[in-house]
Parts: sequence; C-alpha cells; structure tokens
Amino acid sequence: MSSSLRIAKPDLDELVSALTSRYRLFGPVDVDSATMLREVKSADELALGAALDGPVKAAFFPQTETLLTYDGTRSEAPPGRDKPTAVIGVRPCDARSLLLLDKVFGTGKYRDPLWQRRHDDSLVIGLGCSAPLETCFCNSMGSGPFNAEGSDIMLTDVGDAFVAESCTDKGERFLKTAYKSQVQRPSQADLDKAGQARSKALAVLAPAADYSGVKTALAKLWESALWDEIALGCLSCGACAYLCPTCHCFDVQDETVPGTQQGRRVRIWDTCQASLFTKEASGHNPRPGSKERMRQRVMHKFSYFADNFGETACVGCGRCIRLCPADFDVRLVLERVMAEDRRPKTGDRATKNEERGTKKDVRHAG
Amino acid sequence: MSDWEPKIVAFLCNWCSYAGADLAGVSRIQYPPNVRVVRVPCSGRVNPLFVLKSLENGFDGVLVSGCHPGDCHYISGNYIARRKFATLKTALEFIGVEPGRVQFSWVSAGEGEKFAQVVARVTDDVRKLGPAKRLVKSAEAGRAGATLQQSRGGGE
Amino acid sequence: MKAGKPQTPNPKSQSEQLRETARILLKEKKADLVIGYERGSSKRRARPVVIRDEKDVGRLIFDDTCGPSLVPFLRKTLRAAKDRNSKSQTPNPKAVTPLRVAVVAKGCDGRALVQQIAEGQLKRDQVVIVGVGCDGIADQRRGASGEKRAASCERCRYPNPPVYDVFVGEPVEVGTGDEFAGVAEFEKLASAERWAWFERELAKCIRCYACRNACPMCYCEECFVDQTKPLWLGKSAERPDTTLFHLVRALHSAGRCVDCGACERACPLGVRLALLNKRLEREVRERFGYTAGLSMEATPALATYSEEDKQEFML
Repeated sequence: MSSSLRIAKPDLDELVSALTSRYRLFGPVDVDSATMLREVKSADELALGAALDGPVKAAFFPQTETLLTYDGTRSEAPPGRDKPTAVIGVRPCDARSLLLLDKVFGTGKYRDPLWQRRHDDSLVIGLGCSAPLETCFCNSMGSGPFNAEGSDIMLTDVGDAFVAESCTDKGERFLKTAYKSQVQRPSQADLDKAGQARSKALAVLAPAADYSGVKTALAKLWESALWDEIALGCLSCGACAYLCPTCHCFDVQDETVPGTQQGRRVRIWDTCQASLFTKEASGHNPRPGSKERMRQRVMHKFSYFADNFGETACVGCGRCIRLCPADFDVRLVLERVMAEDRRPKTGDRATKNEERGTKKDVRHAG
Repeated sequence: MSDWEPKIVAFLCNWCSYAGADLAGVSRIQYPPNVRVVRVPCSGRVNPLFVLKSLENGFDGVLVSGCHPGDCHYISGNYIARRKFATLKTALEFIGVEPGRVQFSWVSAGEGEKFAQVVARVTDDVRKLGPAKRLVKSAEAGRAGATLQQSRGGGE
Repeated sequence: MKAGKPQTPNPKSQSEQLRETARILLKEKKADLVIGYERGSSKRRARPVVIRDEKDVGRLIFDDTCGPSLVPFLRKTLRAAKDRNSKSQTPNPKAVTPLRVAVVAKGCDGRALVQQIAEGQLKRDQVVIVGVGCDGIADQRRGASGEKRAASCERCRYPNPPVYDVFVGEPVEVGTGDEFAGVAEFEKLASAERWAWFERELAKCIRCYACRNACPMCYCEECFVDQTKPLWLGKSAERPDTTLFHLVRALHSAGRCVDCGACERACPLGVRLALLNKRLEREVRERFGYTAGLSMEATPALATYSEEDKQEFML
C-alpha cells in the first residue's frame, strides 16, 4: 500500500524536523559555486533544485573515516552511532548507486561493519529529476529521471509543492508516523503536474544508448592500442572517482602524532587513477601510465563489477563528464570500445609487439 | 595556559650558526631554553617542508639560521636559501600564519652573543603569539578538524 | 581592462584559420601531430584533441571555452611516443626521429611552454607553437554570469604567446590595470581573517589533485604528496593536510606559475586556490625581478640567486 502526500514547499521544514528527530540527515547544500552533500538541520539549508556535485555515497562511506584511535598498544573503536542516517534530495542515479555500493559493502560473506552502521535502517528520500543535464545518461544505465530504485520515498517537484510517494515499506512507515496529523493528499492538478514533469524530463534526456555490447567488447580489447589513444585525453587526477557515486576504492593510513604513541587509523577514498594506487614496495608499478589506469577504470566498472555482482558499476549520473577538468566523456569510450570490437581486424601484430616489449618502471608517466 | 612555554625548533647550519650556538653555550651566555636544535649541513639544506612539518607537528615557532651571505661553507647555499626563505615567509603570512612564528637569521660561528639574542627575540615573539593553532595537527586538532568531517558524513 | 563579454576577435575566422594552419603543418610534415581543442560534451565545453590526419582538422576550434592548458597533454603525448619507441622490439626507423608536435597555445600556455624549455623539460625543436591570441576563458562555475572571464583571465597581461612558430588570427590587446589588485585587496585582511578565508575555501577541497594534474608546470614524476620517506603530509581531505598541499604546491610553483588559471578551472568544486599562487608571482617579480615564461634562456628565479637579494626579513 503506497501513500502519496502533498508537501507544500513552505512546509518542507516539517518533513525535515520529522527526519532530524529520528535520523542524522544529509542533503544537498550550496557551498559557493558547488553543491555538496552535508548534514542538515533545517529545510532552509537545502539546495534541492541544483545538481549535486558531491556524491551521496559520502553519507554512508565518508571520505575520511576514523577506524580506530590508538595509544601504544591500546586501541579504541570510534563510538557507535546514535541515530541512523537519512538522505534527502537524492536523485534516482544516486539512489541506485547505494544499491550497487551495498553489493560491495553490505552483502556476501564479508560485510563492512562501518557501512552497515550507517546504511542499516537508513532512509532515502529521492527527488525526481525535472531537468536532466546534457551529461546525464541514467536511462542508458538502467535508471531514469524518476526511477524509484533505491529510494524509500520519492519527491516530485510540482511547483509550489512536492508530491511525496512511498516506494518501500520503510518509506510508507515513515510517512505514516511522521505525518500523523494534517495529511494533505495531492490534488489531480498536482498529479497532472507530476506526470508532466516526468514526460518533460524524459523528453529532455538524450535517448538511451545501447551499451549492451560493451562487456563482451572489453573482454577482447585488453591489448588494443585504443587505450593509448583514449588515455591521452585524461589527466589521471581523482575527480571522477571521488565524485562518482559508485566508486568505492579506499586506502587505510595510520597517522601517529610524532613524538607520541598516539594516533588514529583512517580509511580514506583512493582512486585507481593515482599512480601510487598500484605501486609496489619494490618500486614496480603494474599500472605505470594513464593508459593502464584508464583501461582499469573502464574494465572495473563495465566488466569486472558486472562479473562479480551482475550489474555495471555506473548509474549514468554524468558527474565524471561534467566535472572532469579535461571534459573526458566515458560515453565516447563505450561507443569507441563497441565500434572497435565491430571493426574487422587485420592481425594487429604491431600492437601486440608493443605490448610485449619491456616495460620500464615508469612511476608517473603523465 | 599560564604555564605554557613556546616550543621552538631551530635549524642551524653546521658551519656557522650551530657553531655560534655552541659558542654561546661555552661562553655561558644565558638564553631562553625553548629552542630545540636540528643541525643541518647548510641553511640551503632546509626544505620549506621541514618548517611546515614542524608547525604541523606542534612546534609553536621555527627558526632557520645560516652563515652570512658570502661566508657559506658551500659558497652559495645560503643565497639559494635566502630566496626560499623569502618565498616561504610570504606564503605563510599570506595564508594567515601569524608573522613572527617562522623567522630566519644569519649567525656566524663567532656570534655567540647574537645567537642568544636571536633566540631571545624569537622566543619572545612566539610567546606573544601564543600556542600555534593554525597548521597544527595534533590529536586534539584532528578532532576539531573532524567537525567538518562530521557534517560531510564522517565521524560518529 | 576590457569590460563585457569575452569576444574572440572574429571568432569564426580564427577557428577557420587555425584549421587551415593545422592542415598545412601536417601536409608539409612540419608537425607529426597537432594538439588542439575540439568541442566537448556540450556547446560550452572544449576538450583536448590530437589530430594526426589532415582530414580531421575540422574538429579544431578556438574560443572562450578552451580552458584546459594543453601543455600537460603535450607532455603525455611526447612521453607516450618515447615509451612506445623504447618498448618496441622491432626498431622502427621512423620511430627514431623524435616526434614534432604542434600545439595550440594561448598566451599563458605559450609562456608555460617557454618556462618548460627554460627548465629543460622540453626542447624548442620538439614543439611547433601555434600561437593564438586569447581574450579570456569564460567563467563556467555555477553562479557565474557567463559574461565574466575566469579569475586568471580577468587579470591576464599576456594574451598572446611570447614565442611561437606561427600565429593564428589577430593579436589580442593587452589589458591594463593592476593584475595584482585582487592580491592587494586580500592583504588588507588581518592574519586571522586570511586564515579563516583559506580554511573555509580549502574545506571544499577533496584532494582529487585535478589542480595539480591540470597545471602545465606540475610535471614531477613523483609528487611530494606521494612520497613516503618521509611522509610529508597526510592523504586525507582534512586540514591541515589539505592546507599544506596547496601551500607547498604554491611554493613549488613560485616563479614558475604563469597564472593560466587551469588549476582553478580544473577544480570540480570551484575552490579559489590560485590566489596564493598569484601572491607568490608578485613576490618573485618584485624581489627577484623574474617573470615566468618570457625567456627560454633565463634561469628560473628559485634556482639561482643574486648577491644583492633583499634580506630585510632576516634577523
């Protein structure tokens, strides 16, 4: 049984208070010219209209997380949570990303207790995308601007109000308990507007591309010279990985206060695009250049993750394109990969010779 | 905080400033005990990162001292250092590290008295500025800095 | 200082001339490749492109969206070619001839190339500098009016590259006014206020290093942030480690930075990180009389000295 409510925009604070009394609430907040996910205490902090630059994963998998603090041989885990986590204003792409991250951190034989601590009992209040950007391609990645996957409640902006619909039992329970009195149902006009918002969004979004051939293509293109060419357009920074909703690689560092035996162990985001990511103690680096690292990124998201978890690790949010300093476009890579696979081959020995040549230990080959 | 004493690290070049400090000691010249000395072969050896790491690790002040221009044991190390020091000082003051926390001097091997005066001056300047808080990364500061992290989704 | 919307002088014809120039360079074998800009993921974005064939020169554009510095991409291309040559088991006579790469260079990029040559990172004959006069890159951060140029471009005094092999289009008139006005304005703040400003600004930083990687002068094989013996600074995105990163990067760029602004434009979150670089640029110019990127022979300021250097700050 799914409920539908009308929340007038001036009354959003009521929703927010209901959330903050039960949850640690995160939402999009304007930080000068960017919009980042931050903890919020009131509705006027929220910037729901803007495209979120930082990823929603930050609420459940923060960039810096203390694993333990130590003093000599004694160590202490950080205190447990007092409240579960809720996120509001989550676009369908980001909501879906949480499901993908949960496959990594929250399922299977080994689960990450840090993830579980934040993710268990969490509430996701999604926000339908009325104005997709040119760089959005969620519809090519199994999602869509009003897709409810991953959201417990979905908000649709109808001008002066939001129509809130529950998408899961958890969402339903929250709406029932949070709005005991004064429940306003959406009018027919509201529902019409919601329908229009959905159609408009789909019309604005570029038609879905068919990337189904990518995985099989990638399996054959390991040695291809295509990667050299593709990698030239990448600066090998970490912007895409850190802002990507599904990227989840991390590093663990110990930070000891010099002169003491006190310190902390932190888990921090890391990126396969950093040259240090695969550098070994001997000094050898199996991914010495941006070519190997770019290939790795594409393979991980569109091949290995699919092998391991049955789905592509991409939700089509487009941040990696929009926020990339070099305007690198992963959609073009996917298209090129499929085109390369379709191209009739002529024996390509030269490429194989190049690959087999002695690899120098190039630490940071541009 | 009334019993707080400034902790200052001094990078002294082996041939001039370190010898000058030694002379101050041998001559029984009294000077504040707040300085910990790190001997380097030349002031030019001092990487600005030494200064920054010192501040990060909790020193309240940093002194770098070398031979007078023209007297460098390695001919030009202190000239190169002079340019680095100017740049470093400018950068630190521009981002808001208090002027006076990081200071530079030329002290020769025979200037025991000058060394004592330099130390007294720097200690006094740093004492007036109070304990260093900017750029410091202590367990306490780490927790304070974590308030941002809290709002970003970390902590707890 | 030019006011109003950045206007590339006769934009259509500059892009057309650029294409023609590229075509001729390739045809006459004066360059093996041309690195320039092509239209990117939207009408207001440009990305680097490597043109190897005359038939592709139509992809080249030049306008106020051409923000990234092409110098890091030039380095990558040269490096990739060098690596391929050294890896190849079948010695290829053609591969022995070093690659000559033509690169589209705005004023700032041209200076960066000159500085790289001065620092021994590039040989003059490796690169064919295709100069373009630049009237500024549009400020594309959210909230920017679109009429404004990016910060570094607003204060630019070198719209035309000082050294080039061929110049496309008309030279752009040099702006007037104080390029260090923003720096002077900031210096009116007291020490605590400056610190607060930097703390607030750098709180946004996620240590992605887009700024560093986009910078034409950051070419170290091993960056100080990646050094572990000793570990200079923590890798987390917390302060003071983040502050230290920006501070040390600015120090390493002192006297080398050409204020192209690629770093600030690269930042995905709009951190205003170039102000400190600009301050150090002024210091090097005033104290040591050196401006980066103007001479291929001059020794970079922090790699040399003068006996007469001022030392009023020394005790």
